[in-house]
Formats: sequence, structure tokens, C-alpha cells
Amino acid sequence: MVKEEILQITRRTTRSFSSSAAAGNEAEKTKISEPYNPTLKDLVFGGNHLNYDDLLSSFPARGVQISQITRLLGPLNSPMLPIFIYGGASTGKTSSILQIFRHLNRPFVYASYRTCYSPCLFFESILNQLLLHRKNAVNGYSSSKRCEKPSDFVNFLRESLLSVINDLKVNSGKSSNKLAGKPHGSMVYLILDNLELVRNWDKSSIILPFIFNLYDILKMPELGLIYISTTSPDTYYSNVGYIEPIPVYFPEYTEEDLRQIFMRNQANQKLYSSFLDVVLKPFCRITRRVDELSTAFSSLFRKYCDPLNDLEHVPNEEMKRRMFSHFQPHIAPSLNEIFWVPSWPSLDVQPNREKKQKSGVKKSRGCEDFAELDFHMSTSAKYLLISAFLASRNPATLDASLFDSTAGSDSRKRKRKASVKSMEQKEAAEQELLMKGPGTFPLERLLAIFQCISSVADDPLDEEHENCALRFESGDSGFMSDVLMQLSSLCNANFIIKGGSCPLEGSTRYRSMITEDLALKVARSLKFPLPNYLYRR
Amino acid sequence: MSLSAAATDSPPPPAPDITENNLQPFFVLHQVSPQKSNKKSTRTAKTRRRIDLTPSLPKSVENLEVEKAEEGDHGYVNKRMETFERVWSKIELTIKDVLRNLNISGFNEIHRWVRESFNTIKSFGTPSFPEATQSFPIVKDATSKQVFTGLVLTKNMEFVDDLLTFEELGLHLKSQGCHVANLSSLDFSVKNGIGGCLRSLLRQLVMVTLDAPDISILATWYREQGNCNNPVVIIIDDLERCCGPVLSDFILTLSEWAFKIPVILIMGVATTLDALRNTLPSNVLHHLRPCKFILGTPFERMDAIVEAVLVKQCSGFRIGHKVAVFMRNFFVSQDGTITSFIKALKIACAQHFSAEPLSFMLLWFLIEEDSQVLEGENYGLPSEALLKHAFDLPSYRRNKVTELNWDTLVHGLSELKNLQNQWSTVLLCIHEAVKSDKIHLLDLYCEALDPESGILRVSNAPKGIQKDSTISPGNKDMHKKYPSLQKGGFIWQAICKLRDLPAMQLCTLLKGWEKHTAGIPEIHDKVKELLSMLKFEDSKSLKGDLIDMSKRSASRSHLNLGKDSKAASEKAARLAEFMVGNYMQALECIAFHEVVCFKDVDKLQAALIGDPRRRIQVDLLEFHNIVQCSCCGRHGNTLLPSMHDSSIMHALAQEHGDLINLHDWYQSFKTVLLSSSNKWKNRVKHSPSPKKRKVTTEHAKPSEAAIQARFCKAVTELQISGLVRMPSKRRPDYVQRVAFGL
Repeated sequence: MVKEEILQITRRTTRSFSSSAAAGNEAEKTKISEPYNPTLKDLVFGGNHLNYDDLLSSFPARGVQISQITRLLGPLNSPMLPIFIYGGASTGKTSSILQIFRHLNRPFVYASYRTCYSPCLFFESILNQLLLHRKNAVNGYSSSKRCEKPSDFVNFLRESLLSVINDLKVNSGKSSNKLAGKPHGSMVYLILDNLELVRNWDKSSIILPFIFNLYDILKMPELGLIYISTTSPDTYYSNVGYIEPIPVYFPEYTEEDLRQIFMRNQANQKLYSSFLDVVLKPFCRITRRVDELSTAFSSLFRKYCDPLNDLEHVPNEEMKRRMFSHFQPHIAPSLNEIFWVPSWPSLDVQPNREKKQKSGVKKSRGCEDFAELDFHMSTSAKYLLISAFLASRNPATLDASLFDSTAGSDSRKRKRKASVKSMEQKEAAEQELLMKGPGTFPLERLLAIFQCISSVADDPLDEEHENCALRFESGDSGFMSDVLMQLSSLCNANFIIKGGSCPLEGSTRYRSMITEDLALKVARSLKFPLPNYLYRR
Repeated sequence: MSLSAAATDSPPPPAPDITENNLQPFFVLHQVSPQKSNKKSTRTAKTRRRIDLTPSLPKSVENLEVEKAEEGDHGYVNKRMETFERVWSKIELTIKDVLRNLNISGFNEIHRWVRESFNTIKSFGTPSFPEATQSFPIVKDATSKQVFTGLVLTKNMEFVDDLLTFEELGLHLKSQGCHVANLSSLDFSVKNGIGGCLRSLLRQLVMVTLDAPDISILATWYREQGNCNNPVVIIIDDLERCCGPVLSDFILTLSEWAFKIPVILIMGVATTLDALRNTLPSNVLHHLRPCKFILGTPFERMDAIVEAVLVKQCSGFRIGHKVAVFMRNFFVSQDGTITSFIKALKIACAQHFSAEPLSFMLLWFLIEEDSQVLEGENYGLPSEALLKHAFDLPSYRRNKVTELNWDTLVHGLSELKNLQNQWSTVLLCIHEAVKSDKIHLLDLYCEALDPESGILRVSNAPKGIQKDSTISPGNKDMHKKYPSLQKGGFIWQAICKLRDLPAMQLCTLLKGWEKHTAGIPEIHDKVKELLSMLKFEDSKSLKGDLIDMSKRSASRSHLNLGKDSKAASEKAARLAEFMVGNYMQALECIAFHEVVCFKDVDKLQAALIGDPRRRIQVDLLEFHNIVQCSCCGRHGNTLLPSMHDSSIMHALAQEHGDLINLHDWYQSFKTVLLSSSNKWKNRVKHSPSPKKRKVTTEHAKPSEAAIQARFCKAVTELQISGLVRMPSKRRPDYVQRVAFGL
């Protein structure tokens, strides 16, 4: 059989594997359970059979698309043209198609370009599935065939498809529908998911047309091709002519759809529906992705239920109102919250958590609070960070006036004009600055500013009463000698981004990536008057 | 001129000169300083060579003694080395233990969270083998696709210290049965893409190395080993350095397989949680189910290390005040890593043992912990020279004891040890008092080491060696004696704080003191006494006090009520003053402290920081100190063609500003190279063709092409050593000097 052949093909096992296998003691070997031998049954979705009504009811808002796809797939053993399914993320494309195949119980091969991140893996994954091969400890986790070139892939694919289809025909002929798990029909479908990722591959110019051309190249009526992508077919446009796949669009869910989706599988329908009444509308304005919503809702629902002691309870109107008033303050912050990091309960005592909540609120509302810098950074790194921030923010032409000891910090005050035109100009310039983001600067400028501010600010910095003398003795040279190391660790922390190429060439430019908030915090911890040095238009 | 001519003509033939030239680039880059400073010190070449074996180069009187002693007793060098190894291994072990103990509770928390998350994952159901290994995803609700992520905030921008932490965390989790893989940011590079991290993951977990690693292998492996009761934990130690797109690809893949492989991520975050938001796009973020953990801050760790290694008697090795201050400043204002602190400590230790002939006696400190007996015979009595050295130590001379024998030394050392014990006890007590105020032990330590206060004290009690006088000086002149107390130092702050400490806290504090002072009966008794007094009062007005406690913070009007406890805290403050006054004798005021204490801050600084860039520039300008050739020795500032090209170029560059015109530079370089031949020419009158000169003199005038080649080479050398930068497109005929005060 095919499978025996496959096992004969021994891929070169790498040294580390063979050694580890040799080193593996007996106990470990016995621990490894019997290798699983896939059969033709593994080409279908498996599990219990799903009838059409169940299929429709499990996808409340996808009836149209499901019936369209089943029509396109056609009756048993009928050839089909490639289908292109597209729609935004988390609109149910993959799960619908999988459930449709579960309903139809037809054999298919699935490959996601997320998992198969290179052509080679993609080819081998498809061949492995067709040849009923599993990578496991026995075969050293190797593929059935080694395949890197599209041309090889076509040959192997044709070969293996033929044998599978043959088997399927024999199978269905021999025992028609005796077992529920037996695949129906002798067509094999190829589902290629996350197609949009292929565009980022290096050889996309070769691979992408190849994938679309597969149908033409193979010319096998027994093969059905289904592409799934988040982007529309237009984004794959290329000059190479191939049969355009039939597009099926999965539109975004509407609010009503979402309600239906979220109402599925809820224990207490009434309670959840009252929760959705409150939450769904504001959230729908922000996102309609089911996955994002469901993660947001799961935590919110817990908060919503806080006042209830019995989750089976069906709330009456008065109760609803009370719960709403309790719950309302949580909605607005969580709307802006993309990422909420709770801390492990037993680690944090109560006051700590309160503080955290406050900081969470702060982040979401964007208001400034005088929090401390909550990680350690050496003093010179702080100065360096501030100088980088200044260098990125201020125009280079102002450096002299800002850091010249005589000019001081009031140079920015001379601009006082109120004519409408100048205001407009100002605004435009502000916009421009915003669009451009932080500016870049060469190393020399950074170091010049660093030297200025670290020498100026040394005076007010009088924390080290006892050892001032010693500090200044080694002061400047001490600060400076280490500065390049500090710079590189700032770069590593993503506070400063280094652009440019060869270090020998020397034209490296830097850019500070920190927010003003963080810069102010750092400045505060040094007692450095940062706002005085910031140039504002 | 004639001298130079003679130099070029006579002994050194041209051939070796050239080979020397060839070697010189390496010289320029790699020359180390010792030889140079060697030259300044007026030792003979022979000793110099010998000293080079030991890393230090002393200049002071004390060090002359060292060498003398060294010449006498070579045997002690080995003994010192041996002692160093033992002392350092002790210190290293202590540090490791301290760090492990600090982390262990955090690790346990993480483990508990891992288990809980794993149970949550399992509650979604366990897929069967074919289900778990199939290529298509299992359709579940969206929350089951989330990856549990522990964010460990390390609270230090530099993450070097935490490499070890995460390694240990991995080991800890592994010992609890989890499957652990440690990934670093190197695995998440743009170059290797997602394949890189999967490869490393499979290598660690499945123990295979594949050309095309694939996450499905992990799923198969996980199900294959039969026992699915342990989660797969992936530790990524430095989030900030990871390449964002690769990491987000990785997370998306994991989330696609989340149900099939129970993966739990642990990521180290060095700065703030914002780093995560900045690195990963939002559609990835919501695939994470995060939870944050905080392991000790760097200052906590530092304090623990300082306490275990420097304050308590760990190895007997000590550092002087200046060294301590230097190391503190280096930590606070420059490097900020514990790793470099430990490195500095090690350098200090090594330098101490190489420079101090008596340092082998530290071994006694180590051993004595086990057996209380000191037997000088064990080490063989030190030779006369060593003994003489011991009594020449400045700390001893200051104390002027007349007897000069082995016993005095031994006695002095055991006295030193006693005093040190007292000192550290008092220091720990003080630290206990201010722990809550975020005053770090490191600062306190530096202040307590300050010998100025100690010297004053010693002048009062003339015999520092004698068993410490228990006559307590009046509290009045306390401040006179301890300038640091008046200046508002940390110790002073601590005592002030004691004065208005509420009774409850005072009680816990005193209990802490009771524990610390167990070794010193005099203080121990006093603490006990105070504690019993406090307890008595407490029981008297316990109820009133408890209510009072909560109100006191709000209004000061209740102060009268707490008068009793006020008196107690006043007493506690007195006690603290007494302790500081009588038992806190700075190390550097005790006789023979040189034996255990490293004080040479300059040497440590040179060794730790160095100043490579300045060094290069200085060496280029004063190259003959290194090369020591006879041809271009003392000629002041004149540039000679026999000098090394880079040196000439660098010296010439000094005349320019930030920008150097390449053409001018080349012309002056050429002039320098041709200068000697020109002078030749002047004598022989004009001979137009350079070839003739070549025939007549050995030292030929180099051709234009050769000069250009040398010029290019020299510029490149300067560029490589980071002194100039190549011409930019805007100014193609200028190089820029990289001249900031480095």
C-alpha cells in the first residue's frame, strides 16, 4: 500500500535526533503510545454527522453563504470550479466551511498558511495528508516526501490524488455507506486558508499565481479548490491568466446577527439578553469581530453579574435597572481598553490593586497623573533618554538657543502673534509635526545635548549629599565613557530606534520612540525641568 | 634632523622596520596600558616583567612593600590565590543563594498560575489523538483560542540580570513537571522568521532539529507521550528585543493551535506593559490572556546581596568606603545591573588578593566559622618581612602599639572581626528601622562605612584595638562626633524616624532588633528591656491604643494619648544613638583592616570602566611610549616619516576642525612622509627623478602611489578605531572627525 512505501522513504535524520533517540531510555520508549495510523476516514471532518438544519442554526447569520457554498460544491462527485471565500477577520469563514464539510462528510485536505509558513511546508503538509502520513516519533517527525519546488509538488500531488481517489472509489464501491465515518464520494477538496499571508512570502510572485493556477495545471475534475482569505480577490490581481475563482463574500455581522450569535449556548437567556442590551450597541460601534467582542464580553459579563448571587435568576425590570447603574461605569473604560493586564490575585494586596485600577483608568482616559517611573534605569540612561526625546522633538536649529547657558529656556516665549493667518499656519505646522512623528537625529547631536543637560542638571541634583565630591570627581568622564553602552541598551528596550546601515559608515540616525508621558516621568525622577526645554509651536 | 637621519640610517635596517609597520595596526588597537604606566614607575625591566603577571601595578609606598615581600615569600602568592578562590566561591555561592531565595516565592506564584491556567484549558475538553493532530482547527468559541500569558515585570531596563532568573524559572517549572522551553529574543529575528523560534522550540521540547519545523509536530509530540497532564510552558525572556512581527506570527500560530497544545507563555518585560502594546498589534493582543507578575526590583536584590555578602560576615572580604561609594554610584547612575556590581566586586576581590601580601589571612576568617581556634602554625608563621609589613600598615601605625609579634597581629585581627560583627549588627538594626521609607541598604552601607566619623571616634578612645570601651559618651557630644548624623544622613534620618514611630511599629521593629542583636549581649539586653517595657504599656492601654492608632494619622490632637509610647520611641532612638555611637566603628579606623579591606578605588575604576576611546586617542598621539623605537623617540611635536602612519594622520587631524578636507590632509601627510627625503635633497641639490635617489640611498622616497595607499590604509584604520567617519554624499571630499569628548 501507499503507506508502506512512505515509511520506507527515510528522510535524512539529523544528528541530534538520532542521538536523542539513541539516548532515550527504555522507559521513555514505552511511554510513547502506539503510533496512530491514519486511514481514509481522517480525510473527513469526523465526529457526529451534522444535518443541514443544525448546520444553519449553528451559524445564525450565515444562511445565505452556506447555501451558496453548498450549491457551488454541488451534488456528490460533481466537478466544481474553484471557490474564493473572503470577508473580514472573525466572520466565520473557516468554521462555516469546515462545518459544511462535516455536514457533507466529503474528504478534504486543509492547509492554513499560518501554520504552513513556507512553500516547502505547505507542499509537504498537503502531501502528508493525502498520503495519510503523520509526522511522529517513529519516523523522526519527517514528511512523507521532500518537496521544495512547485513542479515537484504538482507531480507528487497528481500521483497521490490519483491513488487517493482510486482508494475512495474502491471504498465506496465495496461497502456503500455501511459505516457513518466513511467519506462520501470520490472528490477531494483542497481548502487553503489564510491565503492573504502568501502575499508576504518572498517568492509570492511565483507561488501565488501557482496556487491560483493549480486547477488549470492539474486538470483533474476530481479536485475541488477552496481558497479562504480575509482580503478580496482584487488584492491578488496578477497578469498571469487563470480561471477566476468564484467569489463568496462573508459580510460583517450586523448588530442583530451578533446578538443571535452571542445568545447561542447561554445558560440564562434572559439575563444575557439584558446584558447584551446594555453592551452590544456601544461595542458594535467599535468592533464587530466576534472574537474581540467575546473576550471583552466574557469579563464584562462577570462584572455585570457581580450583584447577583444566583446566576439562574431571571432579572425583573427593577433588578435590571439596579444592575445597570452598578455596571455602567465599567463600560466606557473597557471600550477603550484593548489590553487589560490583571495581576495574579494572591500576589496583590488590596491597596495595590486599587492603585492599578487607577492607572488603568488613567491609561484609558489619557489624563496625566503623577505616577512614578516604575522600573529601574540608571541615571545616565535617563539623561540619555531625555536628550534623545529632546533631539527628536525640537528642531535642530533651536539647540543652540535652548542649551546655550545664556539663552536659557525662555527663548520659546518670543513667539506671540495672534493674526488668523499665523494661527492657521501654526495649526498646519502642528499637523505636519504630528504626521511626521518624532524626528531623527545623528549621534553627535544626541551626545551634545546629553552633555549639556547632564552637566547643567548635576547642580540641582543634590540627593547624594554625602558623596557629591566623589561623584563629580569622576563626573563627566564617568558619565561619558559608558554612554554608548547605555545607548545600545536604550535601543534594545525600544526607547530609541536606530536607523541606518553599516556601523562603520557612521551615518546612523536615531529616533526616540517614547511618549511625552514617559519622558516627563523620567524627567521628574531626575528633577529635570523638561517642559522648559520643549519647543512648542 | 641629523639625529633622525642617523636613526634611520643606522642599526635598524629597513626590513624589520617594515615588518614592524605591518604589525602596528594591531598594536594601535590592542595595546593595553600597563606597560605604559610601568614605564613611569621607576622599576627595572626585570621586575616589570614579573609584575605583569599580577594584574595590578601599584605606585604607593605600601606597594613597594608588597613587592619586597613578594620577593621574599613566593609561597604566599599561591596561598593568596588559593584564598582568593575560596573567598570568591563563597561569595558567589552566597549571592546565588540569596537570589534564589528572593525569587522562590515569585516562582511558586507563577507555578500556581500555570497550573490554574492549565486547568482552564483542560476544562474546554481534551481532544483525541486524531483530533489534536489534524491540520484543520477545532471549532470552539473564541475564548478558548486565547493563549495564557504571564508577563513578568523585571523592573530593570537592562535585562542582563534576569537571564539567570528566567533560566531558574524554567528549571523550577521543569522540576514541577511542566514541559519548558526557554526562548530568547535571538530566536525571534527577522532573518529567521517564525521558523527560527519554532526550530528552537522543537529542539528543546521534542529534541529534534528539522529543516522545516512545523508546529503540528509539537502537537503530535505532546499527544504521543501519552501523559497530557502537564502544560507546555514557553518562556521568552526579553520581550522588548523580540522582533514584533515574528512574535505576533508566533502568537497567532499558537492561538490557532491553542486547543490542541496547551501552551502557556511567560514573557519577561523589562520596562512597562506599554512595551507589549507597542510591539504587538491589537489583533494579536486580544489573543493573549495576560496576567502580570512582579519579581524583586533591582534595589531589593541589591540590598539582599549587600546584606548577605558585605554586611554580614560572609567571607571576611570587605571594601572600603570610597570603593563602596564608587560601586554604588556605578550602579545607580551608570550601569544599573547587578551583574556589573558583582563583576566589580570580583575585580576588587582579585585586586585585593594580588596586591595585599597579608590577604591570605582571610582564610582564617573563613575557617574560623567552623572551628573557633586560630592556629598561626597552620599557615606557617609569616616571615619577618611580612610581619614587618603588617606593622607598617598605616592603620596600625596610627594606633602605635609597641609590641611587634605574631600574637598582636592575630589578636588585632580577631578584634577586627568582633568590631565588624558589631558594626554590621547595628547597621542591620538601622536598616530595619528605615526599610519602609525606601532607603536602600546600599546607601546606608556607604554612609556607615564613612571613616571620617570613625576617625573622630578613634581619636577619643586612643586604643582602637582594645576591647571596645563600653563607657558611653554623653548624648550631647554624639552629634559632635558624628558629623554625618548632623548633616541629615540616612542614619540620622533613621534615628529621627524612630522618635515618632507609633507603638505598634516600634514593637515589631524591636522584635526585629532582638533577632539581629542576639550576638551582642549588651545591646540585646537593652532591646529586651525596652521591649518588655513597651509590652507592659501596650497591655495597659491596648484597647485605647488600637483605636487611637487609626485616628492618629488623621489628627495630631491625639498625640497626648500616645505619650507613653512616645517615651518608648524616644528611648528606642536613644538606644539607636548609643548603638551607633559605640558599636558602629567604621572599618577603616580599625587596625589591620588593610588585611581584609580593599580600598584602591582608582584601580577598580580603571579596571571596570576603562576608557577605551580616550585610550586609543592618547596612544595614537604618544605612541612612542608603547613602541619605544629609537628612531622617533624624543622629538617633541615634530612629525617624522618613521612614525606609524595612523599616528601621523591622527596628529595631523588635530589641526582640523570637525571636518577634515581629504585633500589637505593628504597633502600634509605627504609632506611629512617626504620631509626627510626633502632634506636629503636639499643637500644633494635638485635631482628631478626620484628614481635616482632610490638607487643612492637605502631609504628611498616612496612613490606617489605608495603614499596614497598608505594614506588610504591609515584613514581606514582611523575609521575602524572609530575616530573618523567616511565622507558623506553631501560633502564627498570631507571626512568628519568623530570628536565628542569621549
